[in-house]
Amino acid sequence: MVAMMHNPLRPTSPLRLVDAPPEPSSAVPEATIRVENLSIVFDVPRGQVIAVDRVSLAVMPGEFVSLVGPSGCGKSTLLNAMAGLERPFEGEVMVAGKPMLAPRPDIGMVFQQPHLFPWKSVRRNIAHGPRALGKSRTEALRIADDLIDMIGLTKFASAYPHTLSGGMQQRVAIARALANQPRVLLMDEPFGALDAQTRAVMQDNLLELRDRINATIVFVTHDIDEAILLSDRVLIMSAGPGRILRDLSAGLPRPRSSAILTDPAYLALKRDCLDLIRTEGRKAFEQMETVT
Amino acid sequence: MSTGGHNRATTAGRLSVLVGALSVPAFVGVWELIARSRIVNAVLFPPPSTVAVAVLDWIHSGQFFGDLWASLFRVTVGFLIGTTGGIMLGMLTGRFRLVSSLLSPLFHILRPIPPIAFVPIVILWFGLSEAGKLFLVVWGVFFTVWLATHIGVQKVDRGLVRAALMLGTPRRQMLSEIILLGALPYIVVGLRTAVSISFYTLVAAELAGAFAGIVYRIEIAQQNMQTGQVMGGLAALGLLSFVADRSFAAIAERAVWWR
Ligand SMILES: Nc1ncnc2c1ncn2[C@@H]1O[C@H](COP(=O)(O)OP(=O)(O)OP(=O)(O)O)[C@@H](O)[C@H]1O
Ligand SMILES: [Mg+2]
Repeated sequence: MVAMMHNPLRPTSPLRLVDAPPEPSSAVPEATIRVENLSIVFDVPRGQVIAVDRVSLAVMPGEFVSLVGPSGCGKSTLLNAMAGLERPFEGEVMVAGKPMLAPRPDIGMVFQQPHLFPWKSVRRNIAHGPRALGKSRTEALRIADDLIDMIGLTKFASAYPHTLSGGMQQRVAIARALANQPRVLLMDEPFGALDAQTRAVMQDNLLELRDRINATIVFVTHDIDEAILLSDRVLIMSAGPGRILRDLSAGLPRPRSSAILTDPAYLALKRDCLDLIRTEGRKAFEQMETVT
Repeated sequence: MSTGGHNRATTAGRLSVLVGALSVPAFVGVWELIARSRIVNAVLFPPPSTVAVAVLDWIHSGQFFGDLWASLFRVTVGFLIGTTGGIMLGMLTGRFRLVSSLLSPLFHILRPIPPIAFVPIVILWFGLSEAGKLFLVVWGVFFTVWLATHIGVQKVDRGLVRAALMLGTPRRQMLSEIILLGALPYIVVGLRTAVSISFYTLVAAELAGAFAGIVYRIEIAQQNMQTGQVMGGLAALGLLSFVADRSFAAIAERAVWWR
């Protein structure tokens, strides 16, 4: 089998480590997403909250990277900054070589909630993006119909979102994001609200999908199994203010399936992640104790 | 056992339908009896039969349709102008902070003043012209619809707006589709309230002086002590606003078509 081909765990310095890949030489392709010393601060009634604290990372073309971290550590905020939905307080986010100041249609987003337009049928929800970008109605609907077949909802093409189950809605949301053929796909706990079975099916779908579309994917999740199963690299974030603690290369072969859940390389990686998260959790706890 | 319960339920259901159907006729019958029994003054409380005769006379004289048209015109045109303005300004104040800072304080001060209080100044401004009557209806309708739209726009699911942004939705479409339809359930509630407001401002407008209209006719009849005609006018007004409210409710149910 895949026994340890190389140690997937790069040695890392403690805390605030930023494990971006080496500077691109002429041979290495330019990173698709480059986050440089990014901080994001929210104004709240009593001062300010640092949601993301000096994070740097790079995602290479075609890579699938997962962001894992405890609730409230700033994963969504970081992802929103990559989407252009959140402005940097400090630092910058570059996607495809251009700074992100506002949302761009070459970047697709799937949110934790499907956020489908309730007044549009499945078909028209998916056609929304191409229409907004000026494609003809026929062209947009053709794109939508292809995607509907791909997500296996052909029978529900003219159904309204509220008549679909949560899993079906989330599939439509993914198809809607893909309709603009984004070069970057950002996914914020897209399966977080689903039950275990549906979730497993959706993960398999996503693995299949990934081999068919040509997007760079950043995937936020709480679930370490999910992160390792799906991605090339797992970034582990500290308890808030969000910083990247570790950058783990999954280094597992592709195409992949849930069969790897029993692979020794996978288990080693998972143990390492869990150790890290446990130590981190304890640290966060001790910090709280000393503060109070 | 369960069928027994079921039967009892349907029997109770049938009974309530029957009682519901008889409610108005029974009321009219009791009224007729009391009015004819001489317990009350039949000049002040004419029996329904007298009212019916008065209404028939009204229709035969040819004035009825003129009055109906005058009132309907005021209510409809005033409603349309006021609600259009209310929706447009509500979208602007709900969506744009600066517009809201400019207009909302003003609107919040003007909104609670009962529209009827504007009758004297409207007479000074517009005399007894149609414009003055339309103004009152527009004024009455506007603030309710404005506020409902304003709140609706602010309650539009942020997630929908963000999803639309990520898909490259142009600004224009964002306002005319995502925000407008997102706020529609609130707007519809505002519009329904506006239907009844438009009728009570109509009353004020016609009482302030008019040359035709259902309420105008009621007032004339009152001056001539034609109580049958007064009550016939009231019945016509009640029927008209009832039909308007019901048809609007039916439209409103379909307006939010995705529910
Ligand atoms: N709009 C906002 N205004 C103020 N504070 C915010 C806002 N959005 C996020 N925050 C704060 O920023 C921090 C990070 O939030 P974020 O939603 O990014 O966390 P998360 O890692 O995605 O959590 P979860 O896993 O629960 O989704 C939290 O402390 C949160 O309270
Ligand atoms: Mg989140």
